[in-house]
Amino acid sequence: MDFDYTPSELMAVAGARELQDREVVAVGLGLPVVASFLAKQTHAPNMTILFELGVIDPQPMDQGVGLADPRVWYRANVLSSFVDILGDVLHRGRVDVGFLGGLEVDQFGNLNTSLIGDPKGKFRHMIGSGGANDIASCAKRTIIIMRHEERKLKKAISFITSPGFIAGGDSRAKVGLAGGPSRVITDKAIFGFHADTKQMMLISIHPGITLEDVLGTMGFSPVLPEQIPYTDPPTHEQVRIIREVIDPQRMYMGKD
Amino acid sequence: MTKLTTLTEAVASIPSGAHLALSGFAITRCTMAFTREVIRQRIKNLTISQCVGAMDADMLVGAGAVNRLIYGGGSLDRFGRLNCVNRGIEDGTLAVEEYSSLSVAFRYLAGALGIPFMPIRSLRGSDLMVHLKEKSGSNLSNITDPFTGEDWPVLKPLLPDVAIVQVQVADQEGNAWIMGPRWDNSEQVRSSQRTIVITERLVTDETIRQNPERTVIPGLFVSHVVELPFAAHPTSVYRAYDYDSEQIQAYVEATRTPEAFRAYLDQYVYNVKDHWEYLERVGGLKRLNSLQADPVLGY
Repeated sequence: MDFDYTPSELMAVAGARELQDREVVAVGLGLPVVASFLAKQTHAPNMTILFELGVIDPQPMDQGVGLADPRVWYRANVLSSFVDILGDVLHRGRVDVGFLGGLEVDQFGNLNTSLIGDPKGKFRHMIGSGGANDIASCAKRTIIIMRHEERKLKKAISFITSPGFIAGGDSRAKVGLAGGPSRVITDKAIFGFHADTKQMMLISIHPGITLEDVLGTMGFSPVLPEQIPYTDPPTHEQVRIIREVIDPQRMYMGKD
Repeated sequence: MTKLTTLTEAVASIPSGAHLALSGFAITRCTMAFTREVIRQRIKNLTISQCVGAMDADMLVGAGAVNRLIYGGGSLDRFGRLNCVNRGIEDGTLAVEEYSSLSVAFRYLAGALGIPFMPIRSLRGSDLMVHLKEKSGSNLSNITDPFTGEDWPVLKPLLPDVAIVQVQVADQEGNAWIMGPRWDNSEQVRSSQRTIVITERLVTDETIRQNPERTVIPGLFVSHVVELPFAAHPTSVYRAYDYDSEQIQAYVEATRTPEAFRAYLDQYVYNVKDHWEYLERVGGLKRLNSLQADPVLGY
């Protein structure tokens, strides 16, 4: 490694690499925003970025505290509504990629952002769905981006807010949903999903991380293919764009 | 016909037990001056709905004015969670119907169109659906598509008594412009029995007629118009003013415990005569002027 990058920067770059030119991407705030703007400013200039509340293709100059911050709506092509974005674009089937964060994810890529703890006993209510359930249900594929911790990557979660492959196998198709999660990007590794069982499957490990690190800090065993390569590190240019253009105030990337 | 009135009069038109649709989204265009007046007038047992839970709903819940919340989840963005709503859910004192954003938008849309139900692809395979169906009088069911034979979840129309919408510009009949994204506000207005418009600026009928393509809320839906600057403070109004970070942080701190929140309500709601005194208490013209939006940036 001839230069420094942070785990968050690697996650954002890995997310950006999953996005292709001309795709329509529904984005939640935080790392997904950095990944999407990075893709747009490098290999995917004709990508369309959507925010659920009614924003199409913004070009922010300043970083915002959330989707409700007019800073992230700046220079949009369209400012409209939930029905326009989550309805006419997403529900209609025109969103290629949904980009989601989560508090907990299970081995089938189901996400919990609602209740942490025991729903029948003592629990804490978090933020719920917003547009996440709609995006996870209706996008052609979803990318999940989150920290790699045992309490976040769990065999079973206490509440499914946004469906992944539900109970695995064909259970997602059986409830009438196409699509599903294609990638889970953490600060240690990248996962896909097994074609038949729909269990999470290790695809690559980030440089400097061992297989033991990955497996020892998650709550279930992912499918392990015979060969597990290292994740490509970010390029100088990608890191420069993140630091100088997209997130100079480190609002989304944190300080790590 | 003029529908121009005072905030006090507009709020007095709302009976306890009413279902209100509020225009806020997290920390933007929240009906804050309205909310503070509802609390001062001690209106109770409200049902509140919105696609994404916002500061207006959270404050009403924290003040004990709400029995039931119909929403799609929510937060105060980076500032924090909806502590009052979450506490109500955790201790069982608040009845919630928790959906996704689009589910609530589709319920308003069904109400606006006057159709009996709305099919939706979302919610399938989730515990949101399980919880919604477990509740008595569930507003979610299933139907077989008569054309394809496919099974579809269907939502019941949402028909609020009153929509309260914070806008930038309106005339005295209630023809109103919403600048920036409108999230669920158009559907809220059209599904509600009537609408109260709170506007930053009152303009003449002629201004509206010269720019009719900008009208988002037609006056025919509106019962009351209130002109009140900085009525969404401490939340933002696009092209008018930014959110007040210090005041939102103070709110988040105060909502961590019921005791601290009672003191907050005393300071900013109960012991304040009206909106003008509130604006003085949070820093007056000097503070408010610093929040004014840049005309190019919109914030």
